[in-house]
Amino acid sequence: MVKTARTPLRPDRLRALNLPAKVAVTTDAAGRPTIVHREEGDLQVEEIREIWRIDDEWWRSPIIRCYADVVLSGGKRVILYQDLVSLDWWIQRP
Amino acid sequence: MATSTPRPLTSDLAACCWIPQFALHCEEARHPGFTTGPSAVLSPDDARKVWQVSRHARRVGVRSGMTVSQAIGLAPSLKLCEADPVHYDERFSGLLAALTDVSPVVEPAELGRVFVGLDGLEGIHGNVERQIEAIQCGVRNAECGVEIANSSLNSALDTPHSALGVRIGVARGKFIAWVAASRAKPGSFVIVRQGTERAFLDAQQLAVLPLDTDTHRRLLRLGLSTLRDLSALPEEAVTSQFGDAGRKLWRLAAGKVVEPVVGRRVPEPIVQSLTFYTPVAEREFLVQAFSRVLTLALAHPRRTGWRVRELRAEAKIEHGASWLATFTLKDPTATLDRLLALLRTRIEQAPLTGAVEKLTILLTDFAPGTTELQLFARDAGAEARARRRDALRTAAHEIRLRFRRPFLHHVIEVQPWSRLPERRYALIDFEP
Repeated sequence: MVKTARTPLRPDRLRALNLPAKVAVTTDAAGRPTIVHREEGDLQVEEIREIWRIDDEWWRSPIIRCYADVVLSGGKRVILYQDLVSLDWWIQRP
Repeated sequence: MATSTPRPLTSDLAACCWIPQFALHCEEARHPGFTTGPSAVLSPDDARKVWQVSRHARRVGVRSGMTVSQAIGLAPSLKLCEADPVHYDERFSGLLAALTDVSPVVEPAELGRVFVGLDGLEGIHGNVERQIEAIQCGVRNAECGVEIANSSLNSALDTPHSALGVRIGVARGKFIAWVAASRAKPGSFVIVRQGTERAFLDAQQLAVLPLDTDTHRRLLRLGLSTLRDLSALPEEAVTSQFGDAGRKLWRLAAGKVVEPVVGRRVPEPIVQSLTFYTPVAEREFLVQAFSRVLTLALAHPRRTGWRVRELRAEAKIEHGASWLATFTLKDPTATLDRLLALLRTRIEQAPLTGAVEKLTILLTDFAPGTTELQLFARDAGAEARARRRDALRTAAHEIRLRFRRPFLHHVIEVQPWSRLPERRYALIDFEP
């Protein structure tokens, strides 16, 4: 369901928002993220607010991800997830 | 023909007059001794829950929002009283009218809390302390229902804690005035002098800010407990985490916001009433009665050429209770069906708790212009919107010509319920 935006809806003119970016993450023995490595510098994970897993679109290309809502040092809140198919880590805004 | 609205009066120097638990204090004023033991006023929206609770009741654990049975379980001797919102509103209106004699800039915030503008009152009342005295005198006038101009008579009547227990805070800007009032003892005042606002705010807890529970919890988890802690952080950092709401909180904590008191306009209301010979309880009949009273109010000659912006519906219920509903319309109207639909919905959401003796409709604020009487009148709001659309269309066209692609976009919901954040919203090219 799409809200009316006056512009006629055309799939080729839609651009996604809040696309995730690949990131390197250090985890502890339990697989929980502890350090996020970025170009600007490494950031410690101060708090893990929530962890959840989704298994979706098994009938297409399966999306199997383990998400973590974390607070980094400095107070910034981000969403980290590990793609359990490719084992890559990704970061995006909440 | 559009009529220009006069700009309201404003004042940077604000006095916040706060009477906590206003309904409870009104009940104490007309039933002396009501709050000497555990007592509570029932919610006007849901008579099964308690609303305002006396300190004796709070001491044994009764809290606002509890059901009556829970409250009585904690305090078996709890005295309960049905809400009488019409009476509280009358008392509050009397208070506002008395304060309007002190200053022309009076802004009600909520039941029991009002801001008074003090700019320019030195020539009338004197220094700030004398201005506060004038406000306290106005509050006593509202309480006693008489005008007392003699200051010696004032002090003869002075009691350290009046039945209304008003607390007054004075500062530059409404927020600091409100925080100062919350720090004052009943019947007393706190003044935050110019230049000392930052020091005053730094010592305050986060709870004085207009916070929701989740934001408060997050701030506490970040190790922030006072306004000094919050304002010590960079503004951009707080904004990136909490958005525009965070920016506003930071600016309040840093004392960078001076919200002026904005005086309210008080147009003369149109009032229509209907008294029943025997009290009526049937809902459908009451809706029809409201419809009849509303029709009479809309047919009033003074309403001609005006649309209704604010509407109040009052019902006097037998055994001393009352029911009150106030509506402020973003889109003023003079259409009976629209106004009646609002009333019908409110009656379903907050049913009347007893049989009704009298119905009253008050049309208290108006906007110029009606479609049925001014067919060729120009709607100023629609004109402004059309002008904005034209300006946006021109800007979008110029950007497309200059840069060969559009740079203006809408954010639209695609799958807002999606578990994948990147699928919830999307950008689409702006087309006006």
